Amino acid sequence: MREVNVIGVGLTPFGKFPEKTLGEIGWPAVRQAVIEAEIDPKSIGAVYCGTGLGGMLAGQRVMKHLGITGMPIVNVENACSSSSSALRQGWMAVASGCHDIVVVLGVEKLTKFGGGTLPLEAEDWEVMQGMIMPALYAMRAQRYMHEYGLTIEQLSDVSVKAHNHGALNPHAQIRKRVTREEVMNSRPVADPFTLWHCCPTGDGAAAVVLADAATARRLGSRKPVRVAASEVTSGIYTNGFRELTWAELTARGAKHAYEMAGIGPEDIDVAEIHDAFTIAELMYYEAFGFCERGTGYQLLSSGRTSLGGDIVVNPSGGLLSRGHPIGATGVAQAVEIVWQLRGDAGEHQVEGAKVGLTHATGGGVAGYDHGACSIHVFTR
Amino acid sequence: MSELAPPIASAPVSEGAALIDERLLRIGQDGDVRLVCGRCASCGAESFPQAAVCASCLSQDIEPFELAGPGTLYAYSIVHQAPRHWDVPYAVGYVDFPGGLRVFGHIAGPFEKLSIGKTVELKLGKLGARPDGTPLSSYVFAVKE
Repeated sequence: MREVNVIGVGLTPFGKFPEKTLGEIGWPAVRQAVIEAEIDPKSIGAVYCGTGLGGMLAGQRVMKHLGITGMPIVNVENACSSSSSALRQGWMAVASGCHDIVVVLGVEKLTKFGGGTLPLEAEDWEVMQGMIMPALYAMRAQRYMHEYGLTIEQLSDVSVKAHNHGALNPHAQIRKRVTREEVMNSRPVADPFTLWHCCPTGDGAAAVVLADAATARRLGSRKPVRVAASEVTSGIYTNGFRELTWAELTARGAKHAYEMAGIGPEDIDVAEIHDAFTIAELMYYEAFGFCERGTGYQLLSSGRTSLGGDIVVNPSGGLLSRGHPIGATGVAQAVEIVWQLRGDAGEHQVEGAKVGLTHATGGGVAGYDHGACSIHVFTR
Repeated sequence: MSELAPPIASAPVSEGAALIDERLLRIGQDGDVRLVCGRCASCGAESFPQAAVCASCLSQDIEPFELAGPGTLYAYSIVHQAPRHWDVPYAVGYVDFPGGLRVFGHIAGPFEKLSIGKTVELKLGKLGARPDGTPLSSYVFAVKE
């Protein structure tokens, strides 16, 4: 396999843009990435587009605005890991030698649903009986609190930290700091979650240009960032007992990704992980081996995962603050980590970051922890 | 199959009410609620809802059996914001049954009685309404007194 570099990135600020089409939301991110990469658009071998709910031919609907068409455009759906799974497809295409340069984008327009919780597949039997994503994560939280004695005050601190970071990020959907009391006193969604425990829905797009290392050198790419691991896996189906307090799928994916990159959790300087709801961040600390099981809150309260710490998690504000237009999230995380490793992150820069990680899981199907999980490791 | 109570199909469970999915449950003569599960005749693996193919050995020889409970509440949440066809607030949870099946469903109130580890039994409950106003019912878990 060839070494794969990220040679250009683009990201639109996340928010609510009901007046725009999916294509209009998507093209600015791709344009930014292509211009930054300083490539001839004709040299793009393929485009991989991740979208969860964008509908048919989402990638074509974006790329036509830029007139960059005629090459293979492949659309990838894996719920909230759609564009991280597309990134894996793009990585494979370049690493294998199939293409020298590819574009990977993620795009989503959730405002078309008019608000409320994420629409899940109506034929799923748990969905038919009332399952919604906040309830699924809320049950994880309830069980975690039961087993480990985590308090609602402590859990609320995850949201405080996310919004402290997001307030510094010009691309974040919510740029507002919140206090523990504001988190706890916001309107209830699914106990123990109030509104501030849940990521907002919205619209947005992100894009990266990938090239093999030789092509990146030939192009004279400035500050290329290496993809050290690219991993996607699926949940293990069961209709029996499953531990809700352990993110089995993420832990399994993390192990593969660490092996592929030849690193361990102690080597990670900065990580963008899937904090769709507050409990997720603590559980993923544990699944990634940043701390022992049941000690996620201690790691949070130590400050090590906040800006200024040695393993900064979600400096962008994460899903809770940057927002979560689901299909755009995976590539948005990759853009953030590339900025962090290049030293281009601005006010929320993690000083001296050399190794970064992204992680997006996609859930909402009965019998799975999550349906999909994609993890990438980046180095400079 | 002969041991099963007659299917209630789409017959109303109470005046004007419809089941969300009539394949999932049986209602006995005395009104007791049981879940329709599957057991693989080849390897014994159990499924709920009853599977058409065994997810352990790929056999299609699946025998139905009825699960009456009680079970144990593994986790739950009280939901305050949901799609409009549900009556909010409602409680949902995962219940573990002896034999190993885990079943998701609504939990009957009062919610103050809920806690992890409680023994729950199966009942019938009204959970919401279709857009046309038809009340929707299904099995619910009720904390055993």
